[in-house]
Amino acid sequence: MISVVLDVVGAVLLLIGLTLMTIGVVGVLRMPNTYAQLHAQGLATGPGVIAVLASSVATENAAIITFAVLAIAFVVLTSPVAGHAIARSAHRRDTRRK
Amino acid sequence: MPLVVVVPAMVWVTLLLIAGGFALVRARDVQQRVIALDLLAVVVVALLALLSYFWDVGYYLDAAVALSLLSFVATVAAARYLGSGGPFG
Repeated sequence: MISVVLDVVGAVLLLIGLTLMTIGVVGVLRMPNTYAQLHAQGLATGPGVIAVLASSVATENAAIITFAVLAIAFVVLTSPVAGHAIARSAHRRDTRRK
Repeated sequence: MPLVVVVPAMVWVTLLLIAGGFALVRARDVQQRVIALDLLAVVVVALLALLSYFWDVGYYLDAAVALSLLSFVATVAAARYLGSGGPFG
């Protein structure tokens, strides 16, 4: 019973994560400038991969879930910082060019 | 995790990896290449997580954690270098 519930929860989280990552990749391919591409990329690197890693609850394996939680913590810490650094470098380049 | 969920997800993430490589080739300046490389690293992290669910072993996620930290350091170093002309400026 609980196993079936966890399977469904994991499948839904995986579907959400893959949808967000697909939106991110298509956005990076389609958007015209650096800032808009960064906006789309932040959707894939933040919530997308977090949802994919969170679907590890369906495996019911303690080692996998522990490392997935660790990876989620690292992604939560690093993804906004990386996006901010790229945006800052693009902004500095644009102001220098003017 | 049932196979009917994991295997299509792995196929889809592989397609996303190909699309990310296309975005890397199509980028017009260095910042866009850094964005595409960061995106590719995240797609590979998701692929490693799915491999871990598929084989039901934990050690693929060690590689996923290491790759996410390495891509963070590489992205920040490249962005600092591009923004100020030096890694510590």
